[in-house]
Amino acid sequence: MNDGYRVLSLDDLERLPSTDGELTLLPLRRTIGFQPFGVNAWLGANAGDQVIERHPEQGGDEELYVVVRGRATFTLGDETFDAPPGTLVHALPGTLREAIAADDDTVVLAVGAQAGEVWESAGWEDFYVAFAHRAAGKVDEGRAIVADALARHPGTWQGPYNAACFEALAGDDDAAFAHLAVAVGRAPAIIAKHAPDDPDLMRLQSDPRWNELFR
Amino acid sequence: MTHLHVDELDRIELDDGFEWRPIRRAFDIRAFGVNAYAPGATGRVVEEHSESTLGHEEIYLVLRGRARFTVDGNEHELGAGELVFVQDPALRRGAIALTDDTLVLALGGKPGAPHVTSAWEAMFAAVPAGREGRWADAIRMHEEALEEHPGNAALLYNLACMESRGGRPLDAILHLTQAVSQDPKWSEYAARDPDFDPIRPEPGFPA
Repeated sequence: MNDGYRVLSLDDLERLPSTDGELTLLPLRRTIGFQPFGVNAWLGANAGDQVIERHPEQGGDEELYVVVRGRATFTLGDETFDAPPGTLVHALPGTLREAIAADDDTVVLAVGAQAGEVWESAGWEDFYVAFAHRAAGKVDEGRAIVADALARHPGTWQGPYNAACFEALAGDDDAAFAHLAVAVGRAPAIIAKHAPDDPDLMRLQSDPRWNELFR
Repeated sequence: MTHLHVDELDRIELDDGFEWRPIRRAFDIRAFGVNAYAPGATGRVVEEHSESTLGHEEIYLVLRGRARFTVDGNEHELGAGELVFVQDPALRRGAIALTDDTLVLALGGKPGAPHVTSAWEAMFAAVPAGREGRWADAIRMHEEALEEHPGNAALLYNLACMESRGGRPLDAILHLTQAVSQDPKWSEYAARDPDFDPIRPEPGFPA
């Protein structure tokens, strides 16, 4: 930050793949420390790549997508349309949306927040970045981000659940079970529903502690 | 309406010589501030201003073309895909387009507060109606904005301007008086504002 402001290019941002490799985040908000609402960019490096994941934004955020460069095919509810650079797509909460790159090097800016509410980082950004670091072999950096996220979002089940996934993937089973036990304590029904089908946690299921947790 | 191209948005050229393309209003977005700007007659693409009053953090992203930004007295030339994030609301910022096709996306909001639609949007949106003498439309837009921003002095002042030009002297004096009661600067503005020439001789004109 240069005395209260910062100049950068979207190409200066890290390119962080999702755990499944389907998405690439350019973490704008986190990089610049923007606080009023959510804003990030997503990259489709090759035509056919998913740029915006298929999701309904059930959390209540309204979102605006801006095609910065390249070209995308957007699906919004039942409508599918071509989106050249300069296209603005407005999606209300609950509307299923997805974008697929139609050209190489497609970048879409995603802006979102819930009307009438103070915006707070939901924590997904932290874990997305932490998981990407782990996948790149920077486990300690990822772990530090996880610890910071847990400290900033105390009392949620999502934090320790994602921390358990992180540690399971990182190979620290003791830490994974410790986090998972916290998550189960906070939301037993939700964790019992999702954990058995979560590929991040699959390896833990052969450990006796798994059955102790979910018996 | 769910999607639009930036070139399909309304284009409202403002007196400061830049063109406002209202995105937030087009979609009735309530959660954050977002608009686009293109160069007008003067080549300016972002008004020189600070965000001290609103306390907004702002991001200006060049969507196409090229622009020279000045932030806190420092110049930066930005092309498509480059941005300036102004975290400190007090810093003065502005931009001049270096190509005719320049388009800048502006995102803004106040940290730690739910987004509130900025009152200036209604004033900008009413500019075409005022230029075309459609006073009833311009007045209605200000009245609607005042429902969202009760007592906003700038809106009251501008409403009074429209009412003065639109042949509603009593309403104009009432609303100008309300603005002046909040801040005497509006009286100073009114004293040299030609919008008030039609009502300046009226009794009770507060300037």
